[in-house]
Amino acid sequence: MNDPVRLQLLKQISSVDHVEGLRNLRDQIHEHMEALLPTRPVEQFNEQLNEVHDAVIERSVILAEAEMARMGKGSPPVPYAYLLFGSGGRKEQTLSSDQDSGVVYVDPVADSADVKIYFKELCEIIVQNLQHTGYPPCEGNVLSSNSEWCLPLSEWAAKLDQWFEEPAWEAVRYLLIIADGRCVYGEKKLLDELKDSFFTDMLNHPIILQRMLDNTLRHKMLLGFFGQLLKEQYGEDAGSIDIKYGAYIPMVNSIRLLSIQEGIRETSTLERMNMLVKAGKLSEADAAIYGGAFRLFLRLRLMTTEQNSDDLYANNGKLSSRKLTKEMTDELKSSLRLGKKLQRAVLKQTMGRLT
Amino acid sequence: MIKKTMLALGIFTLLFPVMAFAEDPSAATLNMGLNSLWVMLAFILVLLMQGGFILLETGSTRMKNAGHVAGKTIFTTGLAALIYWAFGYGMAFGGDSGVNALFGWGDFFFNPSISAAEGDSFPSTVFFLFQLAFAAVSLSIAWGGFAERAKLSSYIVFTVFFIAIIYPVVAHWIWGGGWLAEDGAQDFAGSTVVHLTGALAAFAATVLLKPRIGKFNKDGSANEILGHNQVFTALSVLLLWVGWFGFNAGSTVAIGDGFFGYVAFNTMLGAGAGGVAALLISWAVTGKADITTMLNGTLAGLVAITASCAFVDPWAAVVIGLVAGVLVFYSVKFFEKIKVDDPIYALSVHGAAGIWGTLANGIFATQLLADKVGVGTGGLIDTGSWKQLWVQFESVVVVGAFVLAASFLVLGVMKLIMGFRVTEEQEIIGLDLSEHGAYGYPEQMKKAGQNIQG
Repeated sequence: MNDPVRLQLLKQISSVDHVEGLRNLRDQIHEHMEALLPTRPVEQFNEQLNEVHDAVIERSVILAEAEMARMGKGSPPVPYAYLLFGSGGRKEQTLSSDQDSGVVYVDPVADSADVKIYFKELCEIIVQNLQHTGYPPCEGNVLSSNSEWCLPLSEWAAKLDQWFEEPAWEAVRYLLIIADGRCVYGEKKLLDELKDSFFTDMLNHPIILQRMLDNTLRHKMLLGFFGQLLKEQYGEDAGSIDIKYGAYIPMVNSIRLLSIQEGIRETSTLERMNMLVKAGKLSEADAAIYGGAFRLFLRLRLMTTEQNSDDLYANNGKLSSRKLTKEMTDELKSSLRLGKKLQRAVLKQTMGRLT
Repeated sequence: MIKKTMLALGIFTLLFPVMAFAEDPSAATLNMGLNSLWVMLAFILVLLMQGGFILLETGSTRMKNAGHVAGKTIFTTGLAALIYWAFGYGMAFGGDSGVNALFGWGDFFFNPSISAAEGDSFPSTVFFLFQLAFAAVSLSIAWGGFAERAKLSSYIVFTVFFIAIIYPVVAHWIWGGGWLAEDGAQDFAGSTVVHLTGALAAFAATVLLKPRIGKFNKDGSANEILGHNQVFTALSVLLLWVGWFGFNAGSTVAIGDGFFGYVAFNTMLGAGAGGVAALLISWAVTGKADITTMLNGTLAGLVAITASCAFVDPWAAVVIGLVAGVLVFYSVKFFEKIKVDDPIYALSVHGAAGIWGTLANGIFATQLLADKVGVGTGGLIDTGSWKQLWVQFESVVVVGAFVLAASFLVLGVMKLIMGFRVTEEQEIIGLDLSEHGAYGYPEQMKKAGQNIQG
């Protein structure tokens, strides 16, 4: 569906030349999209929303590059790719998602220290720009401004090797984060090469699957023994259901693990499901029902409680049960049952591969 | 070597010739002696339950109140001993009063004979001690409603009234030959007398005190104020569990034919079933196997089986425990819903389970065991008669109404005259500092205290 307001705003985003203007545009688009939410099918809404987020992030990077030039630090010394991880990587950002980002750049032939400094400074400005625009930084510090996540290709490859060699809990978590990586700006080829290393390493370290499985199934579907929803018991959110970690993330994790095993490089969960069907790992019928459940989780996740503060857009991933109608509750329960079924299938399939 | 031994034995025979000629004690004396030892041992076990209450209350509350919570239990147990000696015992078990159905009258400032009289099955001293320990347990249950916000002085005043009047009157009604005893109310070791009484006093206190700062949000949702040491809480349950064998099995007050073993056996089953049921229901309903709930369930099983341990078959003890475990889980939820702050879960563990345990007699008691104990009749299942259940119901309602009214009166008047709750500042700083001037955990609390004062 064509949405002239959104297209107009997108156009303005791509030409705005200062951060305040970008912030202003984001506020407008937030308001606009929020109003649209109840009227659109969730998949389409999600796509349009993420298109806008991508545009804002891209613009933030361009503005940061210009700022660097203005400060006399020149233009990027080597080609690079600005990466999004987490929900941004999966094209599943909500109206209020945080920043999870990284950078991969071409190995410099000379002055590698200077290049490193350039990208460090650039990324600091990008992260700051995005913060001004209302994106809170990742609490786990998976950020391009963190020098651990801003590396030339060869160092990335070495880092991946190291993670695969010593799959401690944190390393496994990082590897799963990398799997969701997507290039939002710059040389997409660089990410492709990074992913090449990733999947080569996967083939050489089949045992990593066991660790990934443990990590992937850590979050449980919030469905109780009696088929009831498991709600928050205490605190301000008492009675809410944690859609993010009790429905959405477990499903994302399950589909991601299946996809990694097939070398699928798509990052969005629904696209991954399509690819799994093509690879013959998921039947059309299963993909349809799991897809339906996932769309519901996406929709409910967009309705979770907003916690905007300090000019940052944020939400806690929890849905107040007051917002759930009887029909939605029933639908959520049956979707959570499907989610459980998927988790069992993932466990079975992955264990089968391991033995 | 042999020579030396023979010599030593010879000298001993000369020194203690009486040993060789002493008369064998009579069977009655032996019986009295064994009973006395048993009741004395039971008293010691029940007194040791105070250690359980210290750890239970401390573990379930915050660090800043730890010293206060622990210390005041020792203090009030000591005070209770004096008050019970002076008044309480006389109100419960003293000689005839004009209205003997309502309370006893006599034996104030109890002055017991130094040994058991001819024909007594134990000296009155051990009986006094045993009963005192029960009163002190009931008192410590009541403190659950005071926790973390009542003034130290209110503990002192309430100890006096509770130990002198409220508890003894209930004990007299059911155990001291009062009117409920005459009706045949069955409460073997005190589900009602000790636990329900303590819990209702706690209820009155917590209602009058109002919830702790930060327990409930403006929208009515509850916050979880976690206790500072779950190991203390678990250890407290073990201490109470062990002590409970004095509490229940000791309530036979006789060695007799070994019936106390049967009582202990049922007690064990009830406790186990309570813990298991609570953990399962917590896992099934909330998705988490909550430790606090499991501990509460074990205690609830013990509380519930307390009334019925001598009256029911082993299978019924298991059922009573299982129901208590589930009941305590929902009871905690219920009190949270009606916004009653119950820091130690006294209302649910001792109140709800105490009511259930008392009523359970009316359902599960067997005629055989009722005849053996000599109180009331068999329950609904064994006899098909509703009579005993009605009597049990009556005792719960009447005792409940009396304790609630008396506790509200005493605490309400106290609140008016001298104040009941500490100030907001004192509550936030913690009672260790405000009531006693020093923290229970000085190293850990120093920094927090400075933040508040600075």
